[in-house]
Formats: sequence, C-alpha cells, structure tokens
Amino acid sequence: MNAALPWRFPALLNARAVALLAAALLLLWYTGQRVEIGRMFALSGEAVLAQAGLAERSQVADGLGSTLAELVPIQLSSRREISRIEGFDPDRLPPFAHIETAATRVSELNPETLRREERTVRTAWLVEPFGYAVHVAAKMLETLEIALWGSVIAVLIGLPLALLGARNVTPHPALRAASRAASAFLRAIPELIAALFLVIAFGFGPIAGVLALGLHSAGFLGKFYADDIEDADPRPQQALAAMGAGRLTIWRSAILPQVLPQHIACTLYTFDRNVRMGAVIGLVGAGGIGQELKGRFDLYEYGHVGTILIAIFLVILTLDLVASRARQAWR
Amino acid sequence: MDIGIADVCVRHAGGTDALTDITLFIPAGQICAVLGASGAGKSTLLRAVAGLVTPSAGRMLYDGDPASRAQRRRIGLIPQDFALSGRASVARNVMAVARIGILPSLAGLYPPTDRARAAHLLASLGLEESQLERRTDSLSGGQQQRVAIARALLHRPALILADEPIASLDPATGEATLALIRDEARDLGATLLCSLHQPDLAHRFADRIIQLDAGRVVFDGPPAALGGNRIPPRIRAVAQ
Repeated sequence: MNAALPWRFPALLNARAVALLAAALLLLWYTGQRVEIGRMFALSGEAVLAQAGLAERSQVADGLGSTLAELVPIQLSSRREISRIEGFDPDRLPPFAHIETAATRVSELNPETLRREERTVRTAWLVEPFGYAVHVAAKMLETLEIALWGSVIAVLIGLPLALLGARNVTPHPALRAASRAASAFLRAIPELIAALFLVIAFGFGPIAGVLALGLHSAGFLGKFYADDIEDADPRPQQALAAMGAGRLTIWRSAILPQVLPQHIACTLYTFDRNVRMGAVIGLVGAGGIGQELKGRFDLYEYGHVGTILIAIFLVILTLDLVASRARQAWR
Repeated sequence: MDIGIADVCVRHAGGTDALTDITLFIPAGQICAVLGASGAGKSTLLRAVAGLVTPSAGRMLYDGDPASRAQRRRIGLIPQDFALSGRASVARNVMAVARIGILPSLAGLYPPTDRARAAHLLASLGLEESQLERRTDSLSGGQQQRVAIARALLHRPALILADEPIASLDPATGEATLALIRDEARDLGATLLCSLHQPDLAHRFADRIIQLDAGRVVFDGPPAALGGNRIPPRIRAVAQ
C-alpha cells in the first residue's frame, strides 16, 4: 500500500473563487441599496411582528389585509337587468335562475307640465346563482385556448428554427447563426410588450394573445429544441453518417428518438407557461381571463376578482399535475 | 468495393500516433480480419476507413475514388459500441438507413423489400418478431450487437466494416454470428474488414489477416502464413 503518495488535490476555494465571491457580494450590496432591500426587510418584519401581536401596527399588513378581506365572499352569482337582455324569454330561464323584481320611486321632471312628478319604476332582474362562476369558467377556457394555440404556433415556428439552429443538423453554419439570432430576437420581446402592440394591430381579443404567446415561446422552443439536438449522443449520428445517411435521415433515426422526451417536456412547460402568461396578457386587452380580471379590478369589484384568482389557481394547479404525469409517461 | 489505403497516419488529439504509415490494398470481395492487442489501432483503422476519423496524412480510396456520399451509402458499419438509438425501437434502429421519406419513416411505413430484408436478417441473427417494438436499450448487450449487425447489412452494402462485431456474444453465438456476417458478405460480393480479438476465429474465417501493433502493420497475409497464433504480437514484432 502506498502510504503517502505526494499527490496534490485541487482546492475548491482558490484565490480566483474567493475574488469572484467577493465581487458577487459587492454587487449584491450595491444593487441592494438601490432597490431598497433593507426597507423591504424592515416592512416585512414589521408586518410579521404585527401579526404576532408584537408591534403596534404595520402599513403593509393593514393595506394587504383590507384588500384581501374584500376578496371574500367571492362572487358566484350574476344579476342582470332583464330589459337589457336581448331576446329574453321569461318562459325559458337558464337553469337555477329566477327573476327578482324591485319597485323604486323616482322623481322626474315632466317636460310638458314642467313639474316634478313622482312615479314608480318596476325593474326586473334575472338572477343566476352560478352565473358569474360560469362566466369566469368560459373566460378561463378562452385563456386555455389562447395558450394552446400559442403553443401550437410556437412548435410550428420553433421546430424549423431548431433544425436550422442545431450544429449537427443545420445545412450551413450561416443558417445556424441566423436561426439562433432569430430565436434570441423572439425571446427578447416579452409577451406583455408584444401583446401591447399586437392589440393595436389586431384589436382587442384573443388573436393578439395567441400571436404574442406564440412568437415569444417560439424563440424559447427554437433554442431549447436546438440545444437538445446538439447535446444528443453523437455516436449513432456518426454511425449513420458513415453509412451515407443525410441530415434528415440522421435527425429522424438517430436524434429524434433521443430528444423526443426532452422536446415533449419543453413543449408541456411552454404550454404551462403560456397559460400563466395568458392570464397576464389579458391585462392589456389580449383576451381571456386577464381582460376580465383587469376590468373587475378597475371597478373595485374585489369579490369578482376573488373568483377569478381562485379559478386561475385551480387551473394552474391541475395543469401542473397533468403535465408532470405526462412527463413521467414519456420518460 | 475495393479499398486503397496509402501512407495513412492518424494522430490523436494528444499528439500521439494511433496509426503510422498504413499502406494496404484490399480487393473487392475479400474477407479480411484485423488482429492486434487492445490499443494497437484496430478500431482507429476501421474508423478511418469509415470516415469517422480524419487521417493526418495519406489518402484513402474507395473503388479508386476519394470518399463521397454515394460511396458511403455502400458502406455497412458495425461500430464497437453499437451506436444504436437506445430509446428507439429495434425496428426503427434496423431501418435507420432505409431510403425512405421523412413522413413514411415517422409513421413506420417502411418499403416491403426493406421489411423482408430486415426480417430475414433479424431472424438469422436469432431475434424475434416480438422484439421489433421493444426499446433497444432494454435488450441485452448481445442482442443490441445483433441489432447493430442487422442495421449495417440492411442496405446490402458493398463494404462491411465490423469493429469487434462479436465482442458481446458467447463463443458459440459469436462464431455463428461471424459466419453469418461472412456469408452475407460472400452473397453480396462485399468486402469485409473485421477487427477481432480471437486469432483462432480469424484463422478459420478470413482470407487475409492484417495484424497491427502500436499503430503499424506487423503482419499482412493469408492465415496460413501467420503460423502459430499464440505468440503475442509485441514479441513477434521484436523477432521481426
């Protein structure tokens, strides 16, 4: 046995690592000053202490608490004035719905007599106990549809970009550079900003949403697919190349079987992300649940906002479970 | 296909020579075994002929011409590490170089002639129809080796490059498999260049034996001329 071979093992924490660490800490300290990290901790700590009864009052806890308290009870029912419903048929009410009538006295100026006259106005309301919940579900469905089509467009643009942008498949290095640049450009435009401009071009509604999500995530898929293709085991590719196989043959026989699980995982993640972003881009009028959320928030109808937030939360939770199951199945 | 190798040198990335001044002519239809200890350069020679490593010097001619895509299509390669797509099915691996469009191949619609040839090869190699759908990486090493052999022979190559094609097989199966590769080569009129670790098998199967040591050819001739095959190549090299 060799008792003491004079081997030197490399130290993990050498001078360079220490210098890098110091530089990183300096950067954090400097930027932390600028974004008021200290105040963030002070206010959050105060809020926690106030909750525990150790501090008098906290601005953060009071503000957040009063807003959150208004989210409940959440709004499930809807109440619409019947005179404003087109083609209303009192014999054919929607399920669970009923009609409420109310009489109010209004005083009006009679234009002929020029006197104030009191009269009774009867208004009828159609009350649906789950009307608003159904409306939110329909909007949520629209967001899911926007996300689905955004993802389809992302795959349709991203896959060709990846085939041109992967070193081992691309027909020419210049095409690779161009494709990588195109992917980077698409990624560099955030969905929300793209949606702002697309709403101007296509008008309010889902078209702007689909395009904003599709173009941005095409940039992501173009990069992720291409990186997966480049990382694929080169040996099967070399073996087929030695037997005269072309690029597309190598892709279908030696690359696609290897990268398909990663491609599927990336695509599922893109869809997952598009659902979440789809809720956000509605804020600028690109359709779906976000548009509803923005409208209700601006009207201070926090009960409605509560319903919408719960719907978003439930959908994303469900989607996460389904996506992770799907990834397991394709491993 | 005949192969002309003229003054070929292959240098490793580290600067050491894997092959030094190899000059060989292998006529079409010859069954040729490459022998040598581990690290002697057998694999490098086969990989150089396959075009997987670029020689630092010398020339390589196939039927008198430099390598081209059309000629590569006439090569069947059995790599030492099989180089199969592990996640893909056996069928997809065997059909890897079938001349077929992208959509039919994704749908698994292979031409009938290719199906018949693949079935014949796989059955001769002892694989079963039920294994066509299996993921290749779920097979044993020996089964994977035979899938790689079937893939290399599917398109009726004119040159078969086999890098230790029976290393993962038991002696009996290995011998039968080697016989099958040789018989296929004879039927196709193909040249076979096959590296082996078993000198006795090489003696029985090959028309010609090329022995390498430290990247140089130390013997080249018919098996009978090699004589006793138990002498280690390094000792023989010194004796010469």
